Amino acid sequence: MSESSRLDAEACQNPLLDVSNIVAGYGATEVLHGVSLCVEAGEVVSLVGRNGAGKTTTLRSIVGNVVPTSGSVAFDGQDVTGLSPEETVRRNVAFVPEERRIFPDLTVAENLKVGQLGGGDTAESRDPEEVLEEFENLRDHPDRRGGALSGGEQQMLAIGRALVAGADLLLLDEPTEGLAPFVVRQVEDLVKNLNEEGIAVLLVEQNVEVALELADRHYVLDRGEIVYHGTSDQLRENEDVVDRHLGVSI
Amino acid sequence: MVGVTGVAEQLLNGLTIGMVYVLIAAGLSVIFGVMDVINFAHGELFALGAYFAFAIVAPLGGAGFWVALVVAPLLVGVLGAVIERVTLRPLYDRNPLYHILLTFGLVLMLNDVITFFWGKQPKAFSEPSILSGPVTVLGVSNSLYSYFIIAFGAVLSFGTWWALNNTRFGLVVRAGSQDREMVRNLGINIDRYYTLVFGAGAALAAVAGIVLGAYQNVNPGMGNSVIIPAFVIVVLGGLGSFRGAVVGGLGVGIIQTLARTYVPVLEGLIVFALMIGVLLVKPEGLFGTSTGEGHGESEGELLAGRGGGVLTDRQRFGLGAVVVALLAVVPLGVEVLYSEYVLTLLTDVLIWALFALSLDFVMGYAGLVSLGHALFYGTGAYASVLVLLHFTSSAFVALAAAVVVCAAIAWVIGYLSIRVSGVYFSMITLAFAQLFYRAVFKLEWTGGSDGLFGADVLYGIGGFAMELDEIAEMVPMVSEEGLFYYFLLATVVGSYLVARQIMKAPFGSVLQSIRESERRTEFVGYDVTAYKRRAFVVSGAMAGLAGGLFAVESGFVAPSLLFWLNSGEVVVMTVLGGMGTLYGPMVGAGVYIGFEEVLASYTDQWQFFLGALFVLFVIALPRGLVSLPDKLVEAGAGGGRAGTSGGPGEAPSEEAEPLADGEVNE
Repeated sequence: MSESSRLDAEACQNPLLDVSNIVAGYGATEVLHGVSLCVEAGEVVSLVGRNGAGKTTTLRSIVGNVVPTSGSVAFDGQDVTGLSPEETVRRNVAFVPEERRIFPDLTVAENLKVGQLGGGDTAESRDPEEVLEEFENLRDHPDRRGGALSGGEQQMLAIGRALVAGADLLLLDEPTEGLAPFVVRQVEDLVKNLNEEGIAVLLVEQNVEVALELADRHYVLDRGEIVYHGTSDQLRENEDVVDRHLGVSI
Repeated sequence: MVGVTGVAEQLLNGLTIGMVYVLIAAGLSVIFGVMDVINFAHGELFALGAYFAFAIVAPLGGAGFWVALVVAPLLVGVLGAVIERVTLRPLYDRNPLYHILLTFGLVLMLNDVITFFWGKQPKAFSEPSILSGPVTVLGVSNSLYSYFIIAFGAVLSFGTWWALNNTRFGLVVRAGSQDREMVRNLGINIDRYYTLVFGAGAALAAVAGIVLGAYQNVNPGMGNSVIIPAFVIVVLGGLGSFRGAVVGGLGVGIIQTLARTYVPVLEGLIVFALMIGVLLVKPEGLFGTSTGEGHGESEGELLAGRGGGVLTDRQRFGLGAVVVALLAVVPLGVEVLYSEYVLTLLTDVLIWALFALSLDFVMGYAGLVSLGHALFYGTGAYASVLVLLHFTSSAFVALAAAVVVCAAIAWVIGYLSIRVSGVYFSMITLAFAQLFYRAVFKLEWTGGSDGLFGADVLYGIGGFAMELDEIAEMVPMVSEEGLFYYFLLATVVGSYLVARQIMKAPFGSVLQSIRESERRTEFVGYDVTAYKRRAFVVSGAMAGLAGGLFAVESGFVAPSLLFWLNSGEVVVMTVLGGMGTLYGPMVGAGVYIGFEEVLASYTDQWQFFLGALFVLFVIALPRGLVSLPDKLVEAGAGGGRAGTSGGPGEAPSEEAEPLADGEVNE
């Protein structure tokens, strides 16, 4: 634990995203009991934990779908705690929620267009057609209905849709859930490419393999608290943590 | 040949009416799709459009029609936008039920505004002279104005469709109707669009009101009479589907018109039967997207009343006993302290209290929002009177018949409709109720629009039955009305105790867990559908008893007992008092009727104030009057328990499931 707190102190010198001690929940049920984490510009960080640990709630609190009862969220030095999702997203944060949530009756091109409309006035919004070019599965079918796409295609589209407005930070909730292994690798490649373009990523994952593959640092969340924090090497060595809080072996 | 031109003529008439329906239903459907708001006030906005047009055309004459066609929809559109801003905005995170209640309050208000300014008599304004007169196309003669309505409606509909599909605004609206929260997550402030959508929908309804107003006439009931067919169209076509609204609107217009001419027996019935049939086969409507597919945006909780907290169970029991005791001594003061009227009023209250209790049984406990409970109330009344007229004069037998008949009907309707849930259940129950309402007009043995009256009522069975006034002569100090009042009081209190006992039994616990989370209850191993159906039967029987009591007391029945406004009123009472508490809705019935009475004695515009009170109430006190003590204590403590009474945030996610009520809508 002392190692973990030491890591905390020096985790981010100049955080792009700084989540500090947030408490949040739904109605009377408190889900997060003081979660802190940070992401530097250009970095990939994972948030891993079991089902129900509070990973999604953490992301939702950052975006503003859930308003934390205490604690703060800062983005690029500005306090965004309690802002509505649309306000947060307009500060160049891209959010891809779990289950991708493609608009099923809109076409691929229209889905991207909605993403573009959401860009802030100052955002360096990208041309949807240009974005489409990056996805080989999608670019040939701009008129297909979102609901008719495969899970992998939907995931790609969801990420593309979140990024058209331009983003410095991508919040990704379980992007590989329910995808076939070779599709998982496609998603991994996409995330790596985006990171090379300079986009920082906060990745929520249940799949520790994927988290280790993509991220440099990892936070382990259990029952609403960060119980471990370390680099990929540290996490690999620390079988006890993985076993106890994630219930998987690597 | 005559037959063919006749059909063509009727088809044209049907298209004309159908186009009016399309204009109404399009707004209604898009408003529901994007905002999740079931707007009962849409019919009044439609009527308001017609009245504004009347007000403009009256001084200007024929050419005023064109001015009205532009100005009146704009006015109504602005009014719609204001309504959205002021009243609907605070409610977006709540269950659609609260929108129904709120817009029901708005119906009362707007309707009263109309009668205040323009009176109850129908008004007429004419189409511009250039459009009057008949034209003959291919041997079919029809008024030019009819063609104008069809063409104008088609152009407007096409324009709306084009705007939805080719503009940024339309794109966001369509995306929002599929997944509102995701639109927000992409950085779009969709709340801004709501105002415009609501305003545009209101303006379209106003246009419909204007063109129909010149075609027929303008009257205060036009909103009420159009809103139910409009809902049928929207549900038939698929909630939120523009295409569905167009196809449904034209289809219903044509079918209604053809039925009126060729199968008058089925007029009014056929559309509801059609809707029920479609919903049973394809619950999401003809063009609706399956509701299950949409990514779980939380439905928002049904806010049950919270009786606990300030008062202990003992105190509440004591309070209840005091109330019953007070009610019991009321007849003794008649003609001494107050007039007989007090007794009449309380009789009314008690009957409605039982009716509200019956609704609460399914709505407050099983989460089934029935918008057709007047069906059971009215049917119970009809069953009682029919028994009294044709079989026996015994009130007991008549009431028993009401209970049995309504239980049986509730079983059948429950069997058919409980397979659909959420808003669709509400709509299908509404359709069944309207089907019965229409049917009593058509049938010989229900007395048509006159209803039935003149039944003799005896109390007792077989040879031991007497008329109430004979019994009253033997009892000192109590009049005939007083005796009935005691009989009623005993029945209502007895029903309450039975309901309470059921809710304390395991059956009641299962029902409540269904309300909390249908899916979980199913996982635990209960047959959710069977439980709901049983609850529905109990509820129907109880509502039938209430209706039977009304019939026995008054000795007559009329179709208006089955009218949908009664269903709306009883929902209002239930929520007003606090659903899910049994006694809350009964209190609600008393307060509602009391308000009505007091307001009516001060002003002719009581409906307006009742509606306004109700709107305020839904916004400020959604858990009902029973939560008032809690609220007061909270306020006194400086809002120390903030957050417990507000609507829950929209929030289905892995962790949120225990609270998210989204499952109810599966």
